[in-house]
Amino acid sequence: MTSLQEYFYTDWAALTSNDWVGLIMTVVVFFLMIAIYVYALHPSNREKLEAQRFIPLDEDRLDTEGRK
Amino acid sequence: METTEKYHFDVVRWFSVAAVIYLVFGTLVGVLIASQLAWPVLNFDIPYLTFGRLRPLHTNAVIFAFGGCALMATAFYSVQRTCGVKLWSNKLAWFTFWGWNLIIVSAVVTLPLGLTSGKEYAELEWPIDIAIAVVWISYTVNFVMTIANRKSSHIYVSNWFFLGMMIMITYLHVVNSLAIPVGMFKSYSIFSGVQDAMIQWWWGHNAVGFYLTAGFLGIMYYFVPKQANRPMFSYRLSVIHFWALTFGYVWLGAHHLQYTALPDWTGSLGAAISIAMIIPSWGGAINGLMTLSGAWDKLRTDYVLRFLIASLAFYAMSTFEGPIMSIKTVNALSHYTDWTIGHVHSAALGWVGMVAAGALYHMVMKLWNTEMYSTKLINVHFWLATVGTVIYIIALWISGIMQGLMWRDYDAFGTLTYTFAESVAAMHPYYVMRVVGGFLYMLGGVVMLYNVVMTIRQASTYPSTSAEPARA
Repeated sequence: MTSLQEYFYTDWAALTSNDWVGLIMTVVVFFLMIAIYVYALHPSNREKLEAQRFIPLDEDRLDTEGRK
Repeated sequence: METTEKYHFDVVRWFSVAAVIYLVFGTLVGVLIASQLAWPVLNFDIPYLTFGRLRPLHTNAVIFAFGGCALMATAFYSVQRTCGVKLWSNKLAWFTFWGWNLIIVSAVVTLPLGLTSGKEYAELEWPIDIAIAVVWISYTVNFVMTIANRKSSHIYVSNWFFLGMMIMITYLHVVNSLAIPVGMFKSYSIFSGVQDAMIQWWWGHNAVGFYLTAGFLGIMYYFVPKQANRPMFSYRLSVIHFWALTFGYVWLGAHHLQYTALPDWTGSLGAAISIAMIIPSWGGAINGLMTLSGAWDKLRTDYVLRFLIASLAFYAMSTFEGPIMSIKTVNALSHYTDWTIGHVHSAALGWVGMVAAGALYHMVMKLWNTEMYSTKLINVHFWLATVGTVIYIIALWISGIMQGLMWRDYDAFGTLTYTFAESVAAMHPYYVMRVVGGFLYMLGGVVMLYNVVMTIRQASTYPSTSAEPARA
């Protein structure tokens, strides 16, 4: 076993139920975060997202805007 | 006063004034305890006034009284304006106001009496902990329901930051405060040993991460564009900032427990994520600063904007310093020294205090529909706060690094070169310097309180029809 393999060695059998719940949640949330990054940075979403910059400066528009 | 009829702003006014009063009170206690460290005779041999009892009173006053009222004022103000609707329940908002202030009063009474759970930044005993949970949830429910009733289709990013703070602080406060009561004012944590330490710092660092960072970033994302009258630099960057911060911050607590009984890998993980957090933190700071791109001249004349922008510089600085201090090699020198206190205050005084002051000045003008009584006094406050912060953190950088070096130094025979008492004596000049820095910062708070009171009096005597940002 190389030193790198040794460093990353994990005793999977020793993981408790709590460990598995934590591990799965962390991995799922991590991929959700990646999905949000892709969504936010995708060029097709640029205009839609950047339009929201004006919300604090354009509060009066809310009086006429119908929700959804 | 069209806006006052359109929204529930009375409760926001009360929270705003309370925040400024607590700023003065909290920093006054801070100056007293800093003086006690420099001149121990100031403990007066009176148990209620000793450093050990007043230190938690100082932290509770500045974090929960000043910070809490500032967060509640700004969240209730900006959520109404960005959603275009009144608060879901005005009565519930008043319940939050009186409940929160009752909690603050109970802290002022119980902490000097020595009633404490002994958990840092969560010292209050179990009945008060339950009250905090109830009042905090009332704040959260009102905020969430106001968003649910919004006129706009989109939820503006400042509301995301406020909401992230509310949800996480509920979770963190409840879990960290789980305890077995053994009397009306005494309880013991249900956690023990290293698990108790880990839960303590999971709470402790996330109080920094979600309460003092995410909440105040909510303030920044609304009030910087508003005061600058310019849209923020990049909305997409703010979305990434929010999610990266939310995902990352929960991991950092373990870096407070390097070289302890906590498994080594846990501290390393905390440090690794801490380093990674520099990227979203700086992304957010740059996003705020670049909002002024092409209009930097505004800083010359708009003193309120100066507070907001200077706070971002301190935010960037402290979110770089923190991760560096979490690295084990640096932590071996810095931990348990005054460097940590200096780091905390560069963020608390420079970032939290100044962004809140900028937002409060902005709101006071809008809420009372007038200009500030004195724009010059805003500038005086700005310089007192800035110079005070710089003196404070420089003193504790020198003091902390010197402490660390003295504690680890040993001679050719392997004997420690200095006794602990010698390191304490060496700190004295820097503790005096800290008192000076803290006093200047407190003086700035007094100037702000005077200016706010005079502005409110002026508004009731000479009602104005327009409210413009303060300018020179």
